[in-house]
Amino acid sequence: MEAITTFISQTVVYATVYTLVTLGILIGGRAGIFIIFGEGILLTSASTGLIVASSTQNWFLGFLMGAFVGGAAGLAFIYLHETYKVNQFLLGIIFFILGAGLSDLIYKLVIGVTLTPPLAPPTPVVGGKILSEIPILSGFLNQSVVVYFMYAAILIAWWFYYGTKVGLETRAIGENPKVADVVGVNVTLRRYLVTIIGSILIGIAGSYLAIVVIKTYSSGMAGGRGFMAIGITIFASWKPQRALLGGLLFAAVEVLSFTLQIAAKNFPYQLALMLPFLAVLLIMMIFKKKIEFPASVGDPYSRE
Amino acid sequence: MAITPKAAVSARSGGARTLSRALPGIKVYGIALSVSFGVIAVISAALGYSVPEVLRTLVFSSFRSFAGLKSTIKICIPLLFTTYAFFIPAKMRFYNVGAWGQMLIGGAMAAVVALLLADWNLPPVVLIPLLLLTAILAGAALAWVAAYLKAQYDINPIVSTIMLNFVAIQSVSLICTARGFMDPTGGHPQTKLLPSNATLGFVAGIPYSILLAALTILLVSVLINRTRLGYEINAIGYNPVAAQSYGIDFRKTLMLSFCIGGALAGLGGGLEILNIHNRLLVGFGDISGLEFGALGILATLVVGENPMAVPVSCFLWSVLLVGADRLQRTMQVPVELVFLLQAMIVLLIVITRAKLSAKR
Amino acid sequence: MLVEMKSIRKVFGEVVALNDVDFSIEKGRIHGVLGENGAGKTTLMNILYGYYQMDRGEIKFDGRSVKIHSPQDAIRLGIGMVHQLSTLVPEFTAVENIILGTEGRRLSFSIGGERAGILKLCEEVGLSFPLQVKVRELPAGIKQKIEIIRALYRGARLIILDEPTTFLVESEFEQLLKSVKKLIDQGITVIFITHKIREVLKSCDIVTVLRKGKIEGQIDRSEMDREKLVKMMFIEKDIKITESALPRVQLPDCPRSASPVLSVQNLSVEAGEKGVGVYKVSFDLYGGEILGLASVSGNGVKELVRALIHPSLVKEGDIRVKGESIRGLSTLEVFARGVSFTPEERVQEGILIEGTIKENVLLGHHGEQRFLRHNLFINWEEAGKAARKTIDEYGVYTPGEDFLIKRLSGGNIQKVIIGRAFVSPICLLVTHNPTVGLDISSVEFIFRKLVEIRGHGDAVLWVNEDLDELMMLSDRIAVLHRGELKGIFQRDQFDKYQIGLAMIGA
Repeated sequence: MEAITTFISQTVVYATVYTLVTLGILIGGRAGIFIIFGEGILLTSASTGLIVASSTQNWFLGFLMGAFVGGAAGLAFIYLHETYKVNQFLLGIIFFILGAGLSDLIYKLVIGVTLTPPLAPPTPVVGGKILSEIPILSGFLNQSVVVYFMYAAILIAWWFYYGTKVGLETRAIGENPKVADVVGVNVTLRRYLVTIIGSILIGIAGSYLAIVVIKTYSSGMAGGRGFMAIGITIFASWKPQRALLGGLLFAAVEVLSFTLQIAAKNFPYQLALMLPFLAVLLIMMIFKKKIEFPASVGDPYSRE
Repeated sequence: MAITPKAAVSARSGGARTLSRALPGIKVYGIALSVSFGVIAVISAALGYSVPEVLRTLVFSSFRSFAGLKSTIKICIPLLFTTYAFFIPAKMRFYNVGAWGQMLIGGAMAAVVALLLADWNLPPVVLIPLLLLTAILAGAALAWVAAYLKAQYDINPIVSTIMLNFVAIQSVSLICTARGFMDPTGGHPQTKLLPSNATLGFVAGIPYSILLAALTILLVSVLINRTRLGYEINAIGYNPVAAQSYGIDFRKTLMLSFCIGGALAGLGGGLEILNIHNRLLVGFGDISGLEFGALGILATLVVGENPMAVPVSCFLWSVLLVGADRLQRTMQVPVELVFLLQAMIVLLIVITRAKLSAKR
Repeated sequence: MLVEMKSIRKVFGEVVALNDVDFSIEKGRIHGVLGENGAGKTTLMNILYGYYQMDRGEIKFDGRSVKIHSPQDAIRLGIGMVHQLSTLVPEFTAVENIILGTEGRRLSFSIGGERAGILKLCEEVGLSFPLQVKVRELPAGIKQKIEIIRALYRGARLIILDEPTTFLVESEFEQLLKSVKKLIDQGITVIFITHKIREVLKSCDIVTVLRKGKIEGQIDRSEMDREKLVKMMFIEKDIKITESALPRVQLPDCPRSASPVLSVQNLSVEAGEKGVGVYKVSFDLYGGEILGLASVSGNGVKELVRALIHPSLVKEGDIRVKGESIRGLSTLEVFARGVSFTPEERVQEGILIEGTIKENVLLGHHGEQRFLRHNLFINWEEAGKAARKTIDEYGVYTPGEDFLIKRLSGGNIQKVIIGRAFVSPICLLVTHNPTVGLDISSVEFIFRKLVEIRGHGDAVLWVNEDLDELMMLSDRIAVLHRGELKGIFQRDQFDKYQIGLAMIGA
């Protein structure tokens, strides 16, 4: 029982990263924007968030920084895409490369100079004595505030897309932007908003990764999670509630691969590390039939 | 009914026409380069470095000495292969972000086979082509997986190739730490040294692999411009629906273009192992911490359409990388700054190009 | 005056779409806007609807000067538009589509309240349709009604219908007219954009004629007649024009071949993502014959054509060309048997957009020995020759075969697509809506070409949604509905109303 609760607890910790990124991609995707450079945002917000949090000894500022980085990246991306009509995939690849380079650069410039590894203050944990006694449930609930943020984000996204008119319109943009435009929806404004909001979520995930999960920064620490989240988004059929499920699933695979490394000493750890990536491919293969892609993903919108 | 404006156009000479068509391109590069270098100059100044020295080291390190030129060529060769590996499928609007992984697996398999056959003492004239073939097949196979996943399951190749990249890097690590292959003395995870009949040498400090690189340039250009497969690849890139309607086999062309890309990246990896490193080691697919895959993507985006322009862009990119390395060693400027410069150049080129073509 | 548009000018790149146009609309009448393809009618109305921005000019609504920057502004003024191509979200139901983008209480759904309001509106106007069905499963006529209600739901007092009969058959058109009359009774003003003179004569109280971006004039119902309208619509004096604004081309007598060029036997094809597939269709097509294939979009015609070109899609039955089955053949092999085709969507499905004319002419022939060397390399000289020949024979207006095809006009692109079909000898041409959106002289050219092919003893399978065109030039007309062959009409039995009924399955 103890082991299961621990397992759940660990899984939820990692799932927060996956789910927030997936949610970010999903929000953008519903309006036809594919945030394929999530990995780049994760890396940059991880390094900058960690630096800010440790130098100010304020975890919240660290997250704010991460959110800012994400938002800025999203804004730049959607601006370039809609104004100059650059291909989304190419632009996304470039942004990913940029993000990877920037994250290392900033870290090297700041920390390289001071040479002391940054130590970020911990985030407040929701729970306390009573909650942490309950088996299984405590795994889900005895967590950092950021995890609760993730829970809240899922609920809000779900309510927004399926319970509000604005959400309906935003979904329409993903299906067919011309229709939404003709009906009076400001397509361009919406696309800006979703891209920025989605990128902010990813930025928060990046800070979370550095400040809470791994508690340090190293080059490439996002480990491909930004791309795996794309696989999760497809698995989730672009629905927020399934993003949580997918996030938990992949986090579980990742936690399992750690356990395997420790448990089976002779088992080459590299194979365990490969697991999550192969899992993504497998999931995408299995769920191919159930995919409902928003039809306009990938194209900029213009009237003439 | 048949009034053609032939007269008006043929009045301009061929040369003038070529220049007027090249002009937008020149403008594109001009803007991109000047703005990016300008930004780097500003950042360098802000960080307290001497701007003229930074720029000089960056651009001229390759040319100051023969050693600089050799370093540049050593970088340019693998870069050429990974660039073509991205370039060819990119003509179909499919993005093989896995050139890095394909290079890794190509080199890895070549090393494995070389070590396994060490006791056979095969003559180099047999062994080397065999190892290169292994590298080619390994790279092609990895790329084939991504193409298959796209054809069968409609999985976006960007995602699948990136996943496979991670699988490849773990495979390299696995081989380097495997009992039979590992080099017990090295502090760094790497295999034993490959036997001498499995190595390629240098002439005047330039690796023999340059010959294969030159051959590749020729073959790729012919492929794209003159062969039927090249036409089909281009056609799918222009309009996949029309191409298929008129009889082009989408799946076959997709598989072939990816496999050719993967084969080239694998070959690049094999050559790196056989010619430069003479063993498999973790990190051989990077230069100064920057992956050849990503660099290949950037180099492709600079080029646009013409396969013959790829070696030029690769060379210029290598010049920057040699400069970056020297900058880091002599002036402690982080090499990522140059990475940033490159990404900026590419971004500006892509934007300017998109803007110009939207105007037409 | 409800609307006054003054001195409107709109330029797209180098093309002047609207040149100093003055246009005004009276309240409560059906106002027709008549002009051929490319005259500027849709552009003008899109400016009124805020979808396009005018370069110069002024708009007055109800006497006040207004600025319409987006559809939102237009909707707020009470202007609604039903576009030619459906602008409903196929995945949503009618209710979801109607409430999309409405003001007021944006952060919640109260579908119950909305539904009641919608039903009431439908009753008032006399239109009805299923509310909870996904729109993609509804026919074009119903979709149009939903779009009208959608506009009314936002308080539209002026409704613009852009070429509403494009996807309607005769009986549905009459239904539409009845609905429009009811709208007028409610005090709503209707603008009717069309290029068919017949429709204007039938429905409009007043018509404005546009020609090449300029207003030719405005006529009241009492003075309308066919000759006057034709003269105003077209400058081409040497083309005879029918009531449907089509060039009149004769169909001479022509001997039929003894055995069929194309024989379709009990053909069944799976349904695609949209549309219904084909079910046990059989017919023969002879040389020296034009067989028109009439059907409303989404009824299986697309799948039928695709099966002819990609026989791997055939589920059951057989297709024979000149007596030999083509099942199991690849597309290039089918072409080699003498079959050629032109696709429905000229640009989206037919051309290599960023390619040169030469590359485009080669498409479909890239497997022929003539254009290959050692089976591996393309013989670009031969390709260039073929391209030049096509340019000359079809009068494509371009400096040369190395120019980008996207610079050509729609008519010229279509010429390349048709010319490409004849680079190598053929016995059967399958052509799908070849004249959509083309100017009158291009349409005449295509019509004459079809007659010429037929005159040579070859066969033409002409798929077209426009019955007027089919009736002019087909020897026989076959009707497809829900994937089944509903009947084949002989030329002396052509009756627009009857064929229309067959097309909607009545």
